[in-house]
Amino acid sequence: MVSRQLMAVASLLALIALVMACTPAPQPDQAVVPTPTAAAGQPAEPTDAEDTPEPTMATEPTGPAADGSTRPATTGEPYRIGIFSDLTTTNYWSYLGPNTSTWNSYVLGPQAAALYGLADKTFALVPVIATDLPERPLVQEGEFFVSEIRMKEGITWTDGTPLTARDVAFTANTALQLRLTGNWGSIFDPTFLDRVEAVDDYTVRYYYRDDPGLAVHEYGALVGPIMSEAYWSPVVEQARTAVGGITPPAEKATEEEQEAYQRQLSEALNELYSHNPQDEPKIGPFTFARWERGAFAENTANDDYFFSGAEVTVFEEGYRDVKPGGYETVVGDTDGEPLVTYTVGPFVPAVIYTIYGDQNAALLALQQGEIDFMLNPSGLQRGLQTQIERQVGLNVIENPTNGFRYLSFNTRREPMGDRAFRQAVATLIDKEFVTQQILQGVASPIYSFIPQGNAFWYTDDVPKFGLHKDGTPMTREERVEAAIAILEEAGYSWEGGVRPTWDADNRQVVRGGTLVLPSGETMTELELLAPGPGYDPLRSTFAIWIEQYLNEFGIPVRANLTGFNIILERVNNQQDFDMFMLGWSLTIFPDYVRDFFHSDRAGLGDFNAGGFSNPEFDELADEIKVCKSFDECREISVRIQQVLAEELPYVVLFDTNIIEVYADYLQFPYTETLDGLQNLYGMPSIVTIE
Amino acid sequence: MECGSYAAARINCEEAAMFRFIMRRLVQIILTFLLFLALSYVLIEAMPGDFANVFLQDSRLTLEQRNAIRVSLGLDRPPHERFFIYIGALVRGDLGISFQYYPRRVVDVIMERAPRTLMLFISATIVSFYVGFFAGKVLAWRRGRVLEYVTTVGGVTLYTVFTPWFGLMMIWLFAFTLGWFPIGKFITPAVWRRAPVEANVVFNWMLLTALGVSVLIFGWLWLTRHMNGRWRGGIRWSGIGAILLVALTLWLPSGLGRYALNILHHLTLPVLTLTLISFAGTMLLTRNSMLETLREDYITTARAKGLPDNVIRDKHAARNAMLPVVTSLVFSLAFALSGGVITEGVFSWPGMGEVLLQSAVTQDIPMMMGALIFTGILALLAHLVADILYAFLDPRIRYA
Repeated sequence: MVSRQLMAVASLLALIALVMACTPAPQPDQAVVPTPTAAAGQPAEPTDAEDTPEPTMATEPTGPAADGSTRPATTGEPYRIGIFSDLTTTNYWSYLGPNTSTWNSYVLGPQAAALYGLADKTFALVPVIATDLPERPLVQEGEFFVSEIRMKEGITWTDGTPLTARDVAFTANTALQLRLTGNWGSIFDPTFLDRVEAVDDYTVRYYYRDDPGLAVHEYGALVGPIMSEAYWSPVVEQARTAVGGITPPAEKATEEEQEAYQRQLSEALNELYSHNPQDEPKIGPFTFARWERGAFAENTANDDYFFSGAEVTVFEEGYRDVKPGGYETVVGDTDGEPLVTYTVGPFVPAVIYTIYGDQNAALLALQQGEIDFMLNPSGLQRGLQTQIERQVGLNVIENPTNGFRYLSFNTRREPMGDRAFRQAVATLIDKEFVTQQILQGVASPIYSFIPQGNAFWYTDDVPKFGLHKDGTPMTREERVEAAIAILEEAGYSWEGGVRPTWDADNRQVVRGGTLVLPSGETMTELELLAPGPGYDPLRSTFAIWIEQYLNEFGIPVRANLTGFNIILERVNNQQDFDMFMLGWSLTIFPDYVRDFFHSDRAGLGDFNAGGFSNPEFDELADEIKVCKSFDECREISVRIQQVLAEELPYVVLFDTNIIEVYADYLQFPYTETLDGLQNLYGMPSIVTIE
Repeated sequence: MECGSYAAARINCEEAAMFRFIMRRLVQIILTFLLFLALSYVLIEAMPGDFANVFLQDSRLTLEQRNAIRVSLGLDRPPHERFFIYIGALVRGDLGISFQYYPRRVVDVIMERAPRTLMLFISATIVSFYVGFFAGKVLAWRRGRVLEYVTTVGGVTLYTVFTPWFGLMMIWLFAFTLGWFPIGKFITPAVWRRAPVEANVVFNWMLLTALGVSVLIFGWLWLTRHMNGRWRGGIRWSGIGAILLVALTLWLPSGLGRYALNILHHLTLPVLTLTLISFAGTMLLTRNSMLETLREDYITTARAKGLPDNVIRDKHAARNAMLPVVTSLVFSLAFALSGGVITEGVFSWPGMGEVLLQSAVTQDIPMMMGALIFTGILALLAHLVADILYAFLDPRIRYA
């Protein structure tokens, strides 16, 4: 009996010892961070692929001084922001590589700066670290096209060392030499960019193999981030050694050899991506302070931020950035009424990003004053908006988004390959009725492939099927008649010669026969893939109405409301579909149209899943990738929108506004902006807390 | 083979039988685990698409670049090849690299999240077990009273309530309206901004402290079970008090006490919510088991002997009614590691449930498999522990 007791106790002790032996030691990592000396002073369908905007180098303004002083005070309460998913990395290389996510961008974005950025509201390209706009045309030196950029002097990293051209060159060359993928490949396009050189401490030269367009140079390499050479060189050298030891496959290598090379490459790059960037020097308005995984992340104000105290004024066609006693940058026409004026900060000592698992809980926290703002690429749920608008102490704002939902056709199949059929479908879809009546105005009908909010690139001068010339929507009867006219002209007919008709008494379309193709074949049923109501009630509702509109017209369609991943699988990986509905979040520069619709992007797994092919469009799309002036690019953009609105590889349907809410003691210089404040990371460097 | 009647030989025989039983069960567990592994992998692979779909958001990525990403994640290989590679790595103790947390290892993510989930769900399970067991015991003893009806109806109502809604209501009432508790999360950023250690370090020490204190208390109760009845209660409580005091004393000079208190503060509301939701299951199970036990002859004998009600209820009836309840507890503890997706989401508690959900949504296969492996192993071991416990709790149960 006694021995049993002893055995039992001994066993329990052994268990305790085992557990203790397995307990991980405290990790010497980001959690233990020395407090910066000058620091003072707290969803959707979020995270799904298509709602996540790609990280941009839109210059998030770094903050104005409330009292006009050059060095804004960074004392007081921290700026507390609620987010809905944890970071996955604090390593900037990894963030723009395999760990691209909106949530990472919210925290890491304010830590960085670039040679150029995008102006507030107008999204015009403006110099940030550079002194002037890049010159065009590029200078040809031998086989290369060269762009020389002069940098501002006196900018320092948070470790006190100066920012120089070598840092700029180091960043770009690392991305090129290590063949970094993800967003690095888009920013520093290896197809064009050969290398970057530091001519002297403040002059950098970009060497291109071909004359690059705006998409590659101004909106690509020049808005790329800058990493500290002094800090990252040793880490990059390790990765470079590993990568250097791997031989790229020959041009005619087999698929297995290519894949083996990719595997080796990714293992080598893990050296770079897995590095924990403790005490990494930064040049942005904030530096990384702490990351308590799953709980919160914190950035502290960079009190040595070069641009603090600068006064920024944005005009319709111009931009002015002046730092008293420092520099003055003027771009374009700066006469006339400014759109916005502010002074650069930061004015908060820190930004704390608290992670919430549920938007309702975060909203309660906002109402209670636990946080000041919520960052979410999908914005506030519509149902919560009504509840919040009655709440004292909170402001609700609504902004257009830079994106659209669309209906796409598999043009490899008939009759979707026929433009007349697509135009007839577009005419029959009453977007105004569905968005304003059925969806109660939560969505807005759109007709162009570039959203209206992207004002510089947008044109209203496009064909709009379903609208009169004065912009008023057609009636149901008019739509039916117009669609009949389009199809009959193209050789279509209806079974038994019975067309659909409009019953004025009952205000409905009377179905005739099934549509007969010009070849004489009667149409077979088409399948329309769309997300289910649990995923997106707006698109599923639209799909049901499209099904009805087409069926009553004699076009047999079955709406298949299914899982998002199933749609992706069938559309991208199998190209087995008739029509589908999805959506895009877009960039400012509209070169995405080439990626969506160029005939060379129609391969299996590529973005032109519908197989659209139009030589005129292909030519325009190639031009927009290489156009070299804003006027030239805009002309091309207008023409592209007109061609696409005529050809209709997509019927762009609608988009929704983004709703955001913040505590009313936050003061932003402006709140009206495309894609909302979340697109500017919540403006941590210009917000003030009263 | 049955054991004979001679005491010493019988004991050795029974021990040998138990050993053989355990060995047989371990072999079964291994085989069952492999089947579970294969089935899980097949089901995960059956989902349409893969993790690389997340890169479809960036249209500037060429097809070649996206294919390169798929190759780097191993997604270019056929599923069966990936499975065998995975099994091989698993045998070597390598659970792979998470896609969504690339290039962090799966085991690192689990080691980070598991303590938080364990702390929440083990606490909630044990508390709800005690509440349910106590309530079931009392209800069975006081049949037909108003208390029984009220508690049963209330408990079943809470058992069947819509968990996300109830969780939000609890947050709204206790955190938002009354301000007694924080609104979700597991730590308060304002407290932890300058903390010298990570939260997981404190979690781990709290878990160890809880384990150590539990073991010591259990050992103390075991050692004092034969003491004189008159003094036993006082000695037991004194010992428990001393153990708790020692534990508290060890925490005080560490400087981590305020952080542990902050975690406990955040832990209270979700534990309370989970207890309210789940105690009825244990309560009804205990009540039914008690009702059967109360019909036994030895209960009648105990009453006839004039024993006090609480002694009959607790020592005689409840002791024997405990078997199915303990089994239920053991299984509940095993599934504590899987956490609760809904609970963790509502309370912003970043544990294994949230990891499982995100892994499923993003099709992070290694992460999902890693989480399921831990859950599977614990569930299988829990069955074994329950079987062994049965033998200890009920001398009539012996394994051949």
